[in-house]
Amino acid sequence: MKFNTVIMGGGLSGLTCGIALAKAGQKVAVVATGQSSLHFGSGSLDLLGYDAQGAVVTNPVEAIKALPESHPYNKVGDVAAAAAQAQTLLAEAGIKVNGRATANHNRLTPIGAVKPAWLTLDEYLTFDGDKLQCKKVALMNIIGYLDFPTKFIAEGLRKMDVEVEVKPITLHELNEARKSPTEMRATNIAKVLGNEELVMHLAAEINSKAGDADMVLLPAVLGIKNDALAQLLKEQVRVPMHFVATIPPSVPGTRMQALLRKRFEALGGTFLNGDRAVKGTFAGSMLKSIETEKLEGTKLEAENFVLATGSFMGRGLVSDYEKVYEPVLGLDVDYIADRTQWTRDNVFEAQPYMEFGVKTDAQLHTVKDGKVLANVYAVGQVLSGNNKVKLASGEGVDMLTAITVANNIIKK
Amino acid sequence: MADQMQLNNISENNFEQCLKCSICTVYCPVSAVNPAYPGPKQSGPDGERYRLKDPKFFNEALKMCLNCKRCEVACPSGVNVGDIIQKARMNNPHKPKLRDMMLANTDFVGSMATMVAPITNFALGLGVSKAVLHSVMKIDKHRTFPAYASQKFETWFKKNAAADQDKYSKHVSYFHGCYVNYNFPQLGKDLVKIMNACGYGVHLLDKEKCCGTALIANGMYDQAKRQGETNMESMRSAIAKGRTVVTTSSTCTFTMRDEYTHLLEVDNHDVRDHLTLATRFLFQLLDDGKIKLAFRDDYKKRVAYHTACHMERMGWAIYSTSLLKMIPGLDLVMLESQCCGISGTYGFKRENYETSQKIGDSLFNAIAEADVEAVTTDCETCKWQIEMSTGTPVLNPISIIADALDVEKTIELNKNR
Ligand code: SF4
Ligand code: SF4
Repeated sequence: MKFNTVIMGGGLSGLTCGIALAKAGQKVAVVATGQSSLHFGSGSLDLLGYDAQGAVVTNPVEAIKALPESHPYNKVGDVAAAAAQAQTLLAEAGIKVNGRATANHNRLTPIGAVKPAWLTLDEYLTFDGDKLQCKKVALMNIIGYLDFPTKFIAEGLRKMDVEVEVKPITLHELNEARKSPTEMRATNIAKVLGNEELVMHLAAEINSKAGDADMVLLPAVLGIKNDALAQLLKEQVRVPMHFVATIPPSVPGTRMQALLRKRFEALGGTFLNGDRAVKGTFAGSMLKSIETEKLEGTKLEAENFVLATGSFMGRGLVSDYEKVYEPVLGLDVDYIADRTQWTRDNVFEAQPYMEFGVKTDAQLHTVKDGKVLANVYAVGQVLSGNNKVKLASGEGVDMLTAITVANNIIKK
Repeated sequence: MADQMQLNNISENNFEQCLKCSICTVYCPVSAVNPAYPGPKQSGPDGERYRLKDPKFFNEALKMCLNCKRCEVACPSGVNVGDIIQKARMNNPHKPKLRDMMLANTDFVGSMATMVAPITNFALGLGVSKAVLHSVMKIDKHRTFPAYASQKFETWFKKNAAADQDKYSKHVSYFHGCYVNYNFPQLGKDLVKIMNACGYGVHLLDKEKCCGTALIANGMYDQAKRQGETNMESMRSAIAKGRTVVTTSSTCTFTMRDEYTHLLEVDNHDVRDHLTLATRFLFQLLDDGKIKLAFRDDYKKRVAYHTACHMERMGWAIYSTSLLKMIPGLDLVMLESQCCGISGTYGFKRENYETSQKIGDSLFNAIAEADVEAVTTDCETCKWQIEMSTGTPVLNPISIIADALDVEKTIELNKNR
């Protein structure tokens, strides 16, 4: 099978790159190994939340200039332009987000902590500084839903000088869903609440329990396919209402994954779900084709290839007791040779292994056995030099490097 | 140090790779609509930890699993969640009910029914017999049964096609499956038409038994294993003659390629690579430039492609859709890949009817919105479910290709290849 570009990895970075290329008229295939880490998403996207010293960043575009040379943002070129392109791409996929690359806003985590963010889905709670635009919050949770620790969240809210009342709510249908406590997950609740009629009932329940609160907060359990039902609920609740991220699996992340895939396929892209690239055939410094686990006997040929396989969790990188390697093409990896230096004992410290990843040149070409590969690029978390936990930079690196590579390929 | 460490996964079904990320639960069609089902993570890797300690932790609710494998496709860590669940069921056998035996023995019941097809079709449509099926047999009365053909595919083939097949220089063997044989011989005829036009002779296997999908689902593992072994024997002798074995059913293919080894311990290592879906076989021949297809100029149709669960698991939808996209007059709409709810015999059972229809709802709505003349899918049970639930006709991609094919031109193109 012949394509212009074949992308290995179907998460945020792979799909972003795929959409940008398909939009430019390319014939693109994405090979996706299982579902992606978008399923742990918070409803917000990070560009740069903290600088290398750990201080909170207010203007990511500015702060990015001070990152060490090894950071992948240094290969993006015009960060502000790439960020704007990313925001447009999301909007065109039906993902409505608010935010600016030059000014972070704040969001609330599922355990009530305040964190900076770049973009946040429209229906989700955001605020500037540490002030909520209200006096009294009704923090609602569905009875039997355990992935939303209201106690921590209430504590976090009270630190911002607002009164908080925790209110349990339910519907007959939600009570039914409790029969299997392990399956009382955000995504299943979103499927149970998947029609307008139930959302109207939920709105009535919320309105009856809201009391004199001037803001209602609800776990993110609505709108797994798109934002229509979440927006409907917002309209029906009599005071301003916002969603707060839950412990995964994440409804907003599942939605983003589905909408990005849909957009990619609508642009003519081929999405090979649940398959895995297993090896490549090279001719000199050019990759000719890759083979996948399931399409035995069929080679995927292309002019360009993009590695978007993620970090250790997505198995874009693999470690054993002696080394860290890239399992599909055997690309060169930046890592510390001394095994004892990979981790620090204190889990809350920045972990050195987080910065391991494949080596790339200034245009994000990958390297194999010391030689630059002219048609194999890497994007997202498989790249070296980015500690996304320490810097709060995950989605930004995913999207901006993907857009950069798409632009580099189109320019060729 | 390293030589004292365990470097590789040593558990069956990648069990120990589970990170507890819960992504599988997002894509399970059953746990979304039936809260009594504990879901893939709990039924699969989590429950397995207990079952390994003491088999009494087996939970009857595991029978609600459709074996659709969508959890496996979703799992980022490569855990064979569905296989873990099916294995646990196998280790806790129950005596199948008469109803389950009847639904499971698709070939035996099929041959009985074909002999008296008009009567069977009439009877299966009757209110009275549906009521009996519903109350006595616990087969849901809302179900429409697939009609039985009056002439089996095998009979047609022997009478009308077999004699011509040796005149071709290249050959394939065809595993037609119960559905083509008893319910829809036309699909088999369509395949023969295409293969012949491409210069390939088509042959039946020495002996073909039902692939066993329904037997596995209904807990009749010994019989499934015996039938599997017979099929592998027949295929070995076809392969020895240099023939690829092609099928027109994604589920039969998946069962014989993957479930035989994963679940039934039927050895297929020498057969697996030579057993493939007809659309994949054709695509690969085209891709390698070994055959050419020509299509009619006057063919026009708008159809929607539905990815059957086992097709999704095999990752082969690309072959069928790539082939279909070659037909100039075909306007192909891709439906979001999701379970139709029938899952073989599952949806036929009264206790499952409601769950089955609820699962399918989202797909049925998508089909209605797609505004198409027909749906196309590689699985026959999806066909029953979609036709019954939406009224939209469902065609196998092979039937669409056969219909759109310009036979004369295709024969001409492949003459000297
Ligand atoms: S089986 Fe796979 S998807 Fe399910 S919890 Fe385990 S790792 Fe996650
Ligand atoms: S095989 Fe299908 S029904 Fe069974 S647990 Fe997995 S996703 Fe659910």
